[in-house]
Amino acid sequence: MSTGFFNEFWISKMMIWRGIYTCLFVSFSAILIGTLLGIVVGLFLTYGNFFTKFLARAYTDIIRGIPILVLILTFYFVLSVIHINLSAMQAGITSLSIFCSAHVAEMLRGGLQNVPKGQIEAAKAVGLGFLQTFFFVSLPQALRQILPTWTNTAVEIVKGSTLVSMIGVVEITLVMQQIIGRNFLTMQFYALAGLIYFLIGFSIERTGKFVEKKVAIK
Amino acid sequence: MKKRHLYTMALAVASLLATTITSVSSAHAASGTLQDILSRGKLIVGTGSGNPPFHFLDASGKLVGMDIDIAKSIAKGLFGDENKIEFVQQASDARIPNLVTDKIDITCQFMTVTALRAQQVAFTTPYYREGVGLLLKKGGKYKDYAALLKAGSKAKISILQNVTAADYVHAALPKATVLQFAETALIYAAVDAGRADAAASDQSAIAWLVAQSPKKYADSGYGWMPQSYSCAVKQGDQVWLNFVNQVLNEDMSGVDFDAYAASFKKWFGVTLQPPHIGFPR
Repeated sequence: MSTGFFNEFWISKMMIWRGIYTCLFVSFSAILIGTLLGIVVGLFLTYGNFFTKFLARAYTDIIRGIPILVLILTFYFVLSVIHINLSAMQAGITSLSIFCSAHVAEMLRGGLQNVPKGQIEAAKAVGLGFLQTFFFVSLPQALRQILPTWTNTAVEIVKGSTLVSMIGVVEITLVMQQIIGRNFLTMQFYALAGLIYFLIGFSIERTGKFVEKKVAIK
Repeated sequence: MKKRHLYTMALAVASLLATTITSVSSAHAASGTLQDILSRGKLIVGTGSGNPPFHFLDASGKLVGMDIDIAKSIAKGLFGDENKIEFVQQASDARIPNLVTDKIDITCQFMTVTALRAQQVAFTTPYYREGVGLLLKKGGKYKDYAALLKAGSKAKISILQNVTAADYVHAALPKATVLQFAETALIYAAVDAGRADAAASDQSAIAWLVAQSPKKYADSGYGWMPQSYSCAVKQGDQVWLNFVNQVLNEDMSGVDFDAYAASFKKWFGVTLQPPHIGFPR
């Protein structure tokens, strides 16, 4: 059955490529949507009134306390009970986005609250309004501060995307399982999967470091 | 401030109501799975993709196997075209949830018929009879079934994750340690890696594996736990269930016997005798 690893790899190269594409599509969609949503929640967490702050706090705490796999299964199976039928891909991206948003929200809150109070007072003193203070004083510093953690979360999401294979999204992990199902070269192809994930994670991390250096205040 | 909160809450309640109403009305508009499938123009089948010879991807990346052939025969019965079919990839433990939540019309994924499962889904006529066997590493610690039995709790047996998995193993090896894995490939990987001494798996799969790599694997020579494999549909639609049963019956003993026998030969290496003519049993 198996004709050696390299031959099997060559036969399966298109499958693996499609798996990588799906993994990147799911991960980057989730990171993008999750970051945008997370910024909104994070702003409520920092500047909201009692009611919105409470909702944002409940959202982040509940989501951060739930494992990604449980979120994925919830969005795929439980929502069907109330006739919201998400496809496996939609359910996967939605759950990863929501997971990502809770982490981004918490990061942003931390970043914004870490800006020294004196600076806000100084901004007020020179006549900046709330929005001006936010955009020119707080946000640029907060973004710089959260960049390393954000990169970390992005890598976390890529790793979390392996779990969408559980509901049948054919990403890298499931592609490898399919290939192994045919040729039983278990170690070789799982090692290959590990290598691919490492390369994706490493690239994200290096890009993050590069951007960090670029935007650092000297 | 208060007014705005009231407004937000009213909006939330209204949208909730709207979704409920639309979802309820859409849920009751349909009438019958068979009609739904015919007007949709394709059959949606839940199955796996990593378990030869039942469902796996061949070298060209095409989904093949006995389960796939059975699903195709149903599509052929529906549309006269075995390719009007969409396969939904699912893990074994998603078989029942996917049916219950209407993600798929039918699941054909070497599903063992049990009374417990029959309380949740409706099984079709069985299309294969399976038994459990033990796959050993050639030249490994234990040579055969007797050696595993003698080892007691020291023998580690890998098996596909299942509610009844531990009982399966203990029926043959009462004291053995059971290791459960989520994917079939992993139970063999456990044997390869030496984490398990033997893999409890379908006799058809063991026969397939030993035939594919006789230098790597050996059969323990023991089989137990006869079981039937069926497709399953959601409960409550007798018309759809009857339709599938009729297709399967004709596959196995009627006009579509030749195609079924060809699949059987291809995946299990067994040539079936044609059904006798005359009294239909």
